[in-house]
Amino acid sequence: MSRSGASSLKRKRPDSNSLSQSLTEHERVLYDLIRSKQDMGIWTRDMKRETNLPDNVVTKSLKVLQAKKLIKEVVNIQNKGRKHFMAVEFEPSKELTGGAWYVEGNLDIEFIKFLKELCLKQIYMMKVATVEGVSDAIKRTGAFKVECTTQQIAEIVKALVLDNEILEVRSTGSGEFSSIPIGAVCYRCTSRGGLGGGGPKIGAMASIPCGVCPRISQCTPDGIISPRTCVYFAKWLDF
Amino acid sequence: MVTQHGIKLAVQLISSHFGDLVAKVCECLLRKGILTLQEVVRHTKLNPQNVTKCLLVLIQHNCVQAFRMEQQGGFGEASKVLVQYMVLFENILHRMRFPKFLVIVSEELGKECEMVLEGLLQHGRLTLHQIFERANKSNKNEAQDAIRESFIRLVNARYVERCPAHEPFLVPPTEEETTARKRGAKSAKIVEELETIEQRAIAAAAPMEAKRFLVITDTGTDVKGENNGDNSPSVTVGVKRKHGASEMDGELGALEFEEKVTWRPNFEEFVRRLRHKACIANVRSRLDDGSAVVLSSVLEATRTAEKKVKTEHSVPISLNTIYEEVMKSEAGRTMTLDHVRASLVNLGCGKRGTDELYSIDLKNIIELAQNDEVESIVLKRYGKEAYRMFRLLSNTSRLLETDKISEITFVEKKDTAKILYKLWKDEYLQMEKLLLPASRQSHFLLWKVNKNTLWEHVLDEMYHASLNLSQRVAYELEQENEVCLWKTHLLGYFSFELILISLCFFLVNYFGEL
Repeated sequence: MSRSGASSLKRKRPDSNSLSQSLTEHERVLYDLIRSKQDMGIWTRDMKRETNLPDNVVTKSLKVLQAKKLIKEVVNIQNKGRKHFMAVEFEPSKELTGGAWYVEGNLDIEFIKFLKELCLKQIYMMKVATVEGVSDAIKRTGAFKVECTTQQIAEIVKALVLDNEILEVRSTGSGEFSSIPIGAVCYRCTSRGGLGGGGPKIGAMASIPCGVCPRISQCTPDGIISPRTCVYFAKWLDF
Repeated sequence: MVTQHGIKLAVQLISSHFGDLVAKVCECLLRKGILTLQEVVRHTKLNPQNVTKCLLVLIQHNCVQAFRMEQQGGFGEASKVLVQYMVLFENILHRMRFPKFLVIVSEELGKECEMVLEGLLQHGRLTLHQIFERANKSNKNEAQDAIRESFIRLVNARYVERCPAHEPFLVPPTEEETTARKRGAKSAKIVEELETIEQRAIAAAAPMEAKRFLVITDTGTDVKGENNGDNSPSVTVGVKRKHGASEMDGELGALEFEEKVTWRPNFEEFVRRLRHKACIANVRSRLDDGSAVVLSSVLEATRTAEKKVKTEHSVPISLNTIYEEVMKSEAGRTMTLDHVRASLVNLGCGKRGTDELYSIDLKNIIELAQNDEVESIVLKRYGKEAYRMFRLLSNTSRLLETDKISEITFVEKKDTAKILYKLWKDEYLQMEKLLLPASRQSHFLLWKVNKNTLWEHVLDEMYHASLNLSQRVAYELEQENEVCLWKTHLLGYFSFELILISLCFFLVNYFGEL
């Protein structure tokens, strides 16, 4: 679980004088433009528009600049199809990467899943906890090499609430809430609690074939899909 | 709330219980609304004798209510009083719940009462005399007194009531009302008008509250149905019930009373009972046993004081009364006053006024249960990601943009759009397009859960599901003769029945709220 730290750390600036001397004029114009965009980078189409250079020149110059290791191509989460370039000394900004949950333009599902389980385990152990409480506890376990901000934990906890794994409650200040100030938002496991045992129960409607049938709108008494010939029913009745 | 599949389900029920002819008349009334005999004849193209008989069957089984209303004659004709017929959709659906009703009575009042109720359910409405006759026929030769006693117990528990007046007279809506209505949007206003006429007709036909559960016995003493529950306030006579006050048995002797007054099952009370049970079950699974016991006690103590079935808040009562009631039940005997108070807080009911009166928000419990049910459908039909998105939108109840939803629910943007689109196509979500020509991304999609329309949609799907289940049951029974699928039949039939019953029970309790 190694995660890159702060996202926009500037590296040591290469000696631009000596390098830029070896560049053609077009290449230098392009390089200066790309570098001026810092950690936001720039889309090839925008480069063409801003520099007014013909397509083939831009393409060629980009290749040269890349070969000289002055610029790099980065993924833009907003638009993965667009070619996006940035000077090598910058790290892509949050807007480009999609924030902490993304790795190379893709959602880091493994990491999120891991963090979710960890949070759930913590809340289960603590019975009732605030976001800060969960965050501190996770830091103490030392499960991560990298820092996980409280903000990130809060996002994860919110998703767990949506999963119906935990409940958002307000502290009453007494009983199990004794260590939490009155009125503070905190979280506890759903009543059926425990790991894996949580989550929603299946309702009456969802427990019969028609309740969850993807073809219900096409189902008529005498149609091609009908309750008499329904395969879902047949399966359901097959003891 | 009558939906397309609701009508189909009702027609199927009537058809399987009373045949196709009655079903045809019933469907005509369901689709066209309130009609006169001539209109029914015209629409169904049946002969008038048959239509009359069908209407009588439906009235006998409490599925149709007739009423008289003055109609203005056009072109100088004198206005005349016409008898109109209106179908009672809910009462037709209650036919699916009969087994459930029998179970309630059997559990609460015993086998004898169940038998009396069974007769009433089978025949729709009966006089006391007919109830005795029926009991004699069934060869059990039970003493008339025992049957009378069972009957009185049913009336006292409000499970049986006097039949409403046959053809109450309804004063037509006044000039002002009609002109005011004409001005508004047409269709909406027409629906509203129909509703008011229907409600007025039912109110006009209903027997006076004091008479509704009044039994005259030959010992000369009147047995009133209001004396159960120690603190129930005496029921006040509704003003609107005035029309329905028939003088038919003011001076009736016991014998005439037996022969002339007809009785029917009081669906309202059964539904109230089922609604209470559903609320208690929901609280038990969501909170804890203590809260469920307290809720059950509160509802038991205030049962007779509830004005209508879909009560939003339980009738306020004091902590002491609640505690007394809690002590009566086996599960509540070990509870302390503090425990009861804590459970009341758990149930989210605040104190009312200074004299410590408590009232429980039943509407909220029902709403939570409805949410759970729909969410559970979304989970099973569309998966966990969709479930998360649906819950997010359902809780925020405002428009959210696709990317925002993707961020909060931790789903890839592309997948988010796909899932949301699927939910929208199946009418689970509402979508709004936001066009921003100036920005790089020309349009944004905003999503939202509209509970009013969605609940109606889910209710319709439930009617559809019930319809399918009952058709499959019929089909399985047909097949029974051909193959010796005893296992399938036996188990299948019973599980069908059970599920059908539980589903119906669910329908009325949660989505009957609409």
